[in-house]
Amino acid sequence: MGSVLQLLFTGLGIGAVYALVALGFVLIFRATNVVNFAQGEFSMVAAYLMVVFAVDLGWPYWLSFLLSLGGMAVLGAIFNLGVYYPLRNRTFLPVIISTIGASIFLANTVLALYGPQPQVLPGWFDTPGIQLGQVYLDSQYLIIIAVTVLLVAFQYWFFEHTLLGKKLQATSQDKEMAALLGIPVATMIMITFVYSAVLGGIAGILVAPVLFVSIQMGSTIALKAFAATIIGGFGDVAGAIVGGLALGIIETFGAAYISVPFKDAFAFLVLILFLAFRPQGLFGERVAEKA
Amino acid sequence: MSVARDTRSAASSLSRTAAGHALYAILAVAAVIGAATVRTDGYIANILMQAATYAIAVFGLSVVLGLCGQINLAQAAFFALGAYAVALGTVDYDIPFFVCLIAGMAIAFTSGGLLGLSTLRLGGHYLAMVTISFQQILTVVLINAIQLTHGPDGVGSIKRPDLFASSQAYLALAVAVLAVAGYLVWWLADTRLGRAMRAVRDNEIAASAAGIDVYRTKVLAFAICAMLGGLGGGLFAGGFTYVSPDQFAFSDSIVLLTMALLGGIASPVGSAIGTGLLILIPEWLRFLKSVPGLYLAIYGLAVILIVVFMSDGIWGFIANIFRRSTVVAPSPKRPLVLRPADSRAPAALQVQGLAKHFGGLKAVDGVDLTVRRGGVHALIGPNGSGKTTMLNVISGLYRPTAGRIFVDGVDVTALSAHRRTIAGLGRTFQNIRLFRSMTALENVVIGAEREGNTEAASDHAALEERAQSALDFVGLGERSGDLVRSFSYGHQRLIEIARALAGNPTVLLLDEPAAGLNSSEKKHLHDLLDRIAAQGLTILIIDHDMTLVAGVAQHLTVLNFGRRIADGDTVEVLRHPDVAAAYLGAE
Amino acid sequence: MSLIEITDLNVRYGEIEALRGVSLRVDEGQVVTLLGSNGAGKSTTLRAISGLNRPHSGSIVFEGKPIVGLGPEAIARLGIAQVPEGRRLFPGLTVLENIMLGASNGKASSAAIRREADRMFELFPDIRPFANALGWTLSGGQQQMVAVARGLMAKPRLLLLDEPSLGLAPVIVQAVFRIIQEIRKRGTTVLLVEQNARMALKVADWGYVLETGRLALGGAPETLWGDARVRDAYLGGSQAKASA
Repeated sequence: MGSVLQLLFTGLGIGAVYALVALGFVLIFRATNVVNFAQGEFSMVAAYLMVVFAVDLGWPYWLSFLLSLGGMAVLGAIFNLGVYYPLRNRTFLPVIISTIGASIFLANTVLALYGPQPQVLPGWFDTPGIQLGQVYLDSQYLIIIAVTVLLVAFQYWFFEHTLLGKKLQATSQDKEMAALLGIPVATMIMITFVYSAVLGGIAGILVAPVLFVSIQMGSTIALKAFAATIIGGFGDVAGAIVGGLALGIIETFGAAYISVPFKDAFAFLVLILFLAFRPQGLFGERVAEKA
Repeated sequence: MSVARDTRSAASSLSRTAAGHALYAILAVAAVIGAATVRTDGYIANILMQAATYAIAVFGLSVVLGLCGQINLAQAAFFALGAYAVALGTVDYDIPFFVCLIAGMAIAFTSGGLLGLSTLRLGGHYLAMVTISFQQILTVVLINAIQLTHGPDGVGSIKRPDLFASSQAYLALAVAVLAVAGYLVWWLADTRLGRAMRAVRDNEIAASAAGIDVYRTKVLAFAICAMLGGLGGGLFAGGFTYVSPDQFAFSDSIVLLTMALLGGIASPVGSAIGTGLLILIPEWLRFLKSVPGLYLAIYGLAVILIVVFMSDGIWGFIANIFRRSTVVAPSPKRPLVLRPADSRAPAALQVQGLAKHFGGLKAVDGVDLTVRRGGVHALIGPNGSGKTTMLNVISGLYRPTAGRIFVDGVDVTALSAHRRTIAGLGRTFQNIRLFRSMTALENVVIGAEREGNTEAASDHAALEERAQSALDFVGLGERSGDLVRSFSYGHQRLIEIARALAGNPTVLLLDEPAAGLNSSEKKHLHDLLDRIAAQGLTILIIDHDMTLVAGVAQHLTVLNFGRRIADGDTVEVLRHPDVAAAYLGAE
Repeated sequence: MSLIEITDLNVRYGEIEALRGVSLRVDEGQVVTLLGSNGAGKSTTLRAISGLNRPHSGSIVFEGKPIVGLGPEAIARLGIAQVPEGRRLFPGLTVLENIMLGASNGKASSAAIRREADRMFELFPDIRPFANALGWTLSGGQQQMVAVARGLMAKPRLLLLDEPSLGLAPVIVQAVFRIIQEIRKRGTTVLLVEQNARMALKVADWGYVLETGRLALGGAPETLWGDARVRDAYLGGSQAKASA
């Protein structure tokens, strides 16, 4: 039983990371109808920024954290202007391909600037963790779960209880109507991209001490977060969170009980199964007919 | 990207002739001989080998994405299937090279088809994700199923066939296969299947309405793309005699995609150009590879820039400059034969108790409609009355919530849209749905080649003849070789009607044919409808222009709030007080 | 005093000429109605005014300022609000939230907007019980009330109503038109696009009739209603033909 709880804890921890990245996807998708294949790279870039500030320059952790998030905000803004905006009236195919191009560009620019060696980022605290009965609660995982809970709560408050949050929701539900009411749609979209980039960045910084900081970490996380959004129901905010957590748990248990090397394939297998049998996911509405 | 433009038109005037074919054959043979005899150092030979095998895989993308408009981000996976079939087959099981090659192609073909099955319910983002998932799963399997695949160490000492053991000879083989594959892909575009693919890409709904089995077309496109990927991969394995999983990752699928985009996805010529440039240029700029990541970073940036600024690719750009319409050989005018089926069932079109609910909204709420054979029947009603919904249910775009539909006595309620077209239904659309990359003639040929068309034999000449007759019938015969987007709005509408007529329908459904037309165009439309009706065809028309409707329809059915409120002879119905109230407002 | 004046407006959708040389004006404090059958160009006119479609040529002058070329957000801030066809409530937001967002063209605080929304419920008492229900769960008539309330929250100088009676049962239509009269009483100028000519002419001070993109008629409501050409615009020349 102890090991089941342990796996559950680990699964929740890694699932929380997927949930954060998935949340970033879903927000961008709802606002712009774009599937951002570069979402994972936001996490990766933020992790590298942390390495630069906190490890290479040796600055205090909290300062490095803020600076990295600041950098992510700028990156989100540039991404909006450079990748989304020129293609905002085209069909989905050029946009998907363009975000894929951005993802490759970001990953390889970091590679060119920093080199292929994976980096190590220390955790927030030096304490190793808490032993709770038979379960060892790693401190970094505790932080991941805690921060995710805080962020989800913040997001819930922001979207449900502030006027700006309502305007963002309105923009993603009906852009034209929002414009007719005087809501500055382009600004709303910019805010969405910046927020999603910061979310992705936080996810990357949280998970970096657990994995190595590497060029590939972005795409691995992103593809799993995709799977999470599909499982939860594409386009559904709660679904992204639930899907992320569920996937983290499935993957962790799968690795423990079935096979470690194939654990990366589980996400995709689950994805294909859902797409085949329940494309609307757990919470989404019917996948729109292609009429 | 914009609708992939048909870049063949420019070259087609040249290439369609025997001279064009001969020229290609000569160039191909010259290239093969050159590859076999010209001495190059090993490094250059390797580059050329990579270019040739990649190009074959990129041809695959030009089929599924260029011709059919479906996204496939797993081409490197199919490449891998072919490569590993050859590698494992020759090394572990001692099977002859060519047998492995064919087996690899078959395995790739099947997996591509299976992947294509997912297009039944998915498109767009979902399809992209399915293909990525497939790619990722395959990569994980290649790395981890060590017993089968040798894992990350890869497979070395792959045996080439004896006849092509030397690098030169093998290169010649690769070039020869490249030339043949390129020719076949180019030829595919003008076959019935190729046309169907292009129609699906341009306008899926119209393709369905024209009688094309959209799903089957997409599955085939995927299968063919995958098979070409497998062919390229198999040759790659023999060429480099070593394969490992890291050569076939997701980033390689992106590289292949970029090659396709750069050259121009709609044609094999573009594929070849794109591949060539993206393999050869970096070799000349070898310093880029010295900094890890720089090469691919530029790749990524290039993808964005190409998509934003050059969506038709290099070949597309060139072809657009030299675009000419196809020249259509003048032929004796054959009058259009319209022979609607007549099984002596009481009505050409019968609808019983039709209902269509969208959640709580009852768009159509229990409507009966009987359209007598021959003549024009109009369905009218104010905005939001359910007319267009009803037409969409009749033609198969929506599934009815309740009710039955009979075409010439046959119950078509359970049939898909394209099967209803085969059963004798033809239709046009309110927002004109033509295949914008094609000429008027090609659009109408697609209508003519629908399955079960008794008025057109299946050879190409007969189909073109029928299409030409249909265009003559609507008055556009002289311009049949022009691209449809060069026609005025009113004329595009006529082409749509010609496309439907070419299929020899029993019942023709016209959805607001007069929308957007000026008064002289409306008069022309009126005459055309009279002429169609005179040939015995049954027409059901929706429109708001009462002058047109009253002039052309003998029988009128009026809907309001999804229900039928009047039905009968035109003049009487228009005098009915309920009808005036429905339009102008009740007391 | 003309609040908005449209001169020689030409609007195209690609190649199709949706509006050809349309000129009309709305005086302050009036309810002016724009009639015509489907496809005549009525909604196009409103879309052009609100900045959703840029006209090919022609001018639109609002309170003395030319507004062609401004984007929809800017035009909303100038004091033109539109209640578009089909109501278009934000499906994921509640009735109260929809209404509050109507004030997005200004800079009022959240609390002030909340108070304003409460006052709006006095004008539309029937929807007060649904304040916290999601927009899409209401009936068509109720949604129309919410949409109009949302439009009024912008405190517009000019309110554009696009087919408010669309898809509504006759009893509800009457309720909607009563509201329009109330709005006029409170001093808001209204440009009302309608297919339901009878109701529209009962509530309007002036009317225009569009036919295939052109202005066919303009005049006082009683005159228009008696004019056989209005019927023709909807039902074609068939009425005349049938009786001939």
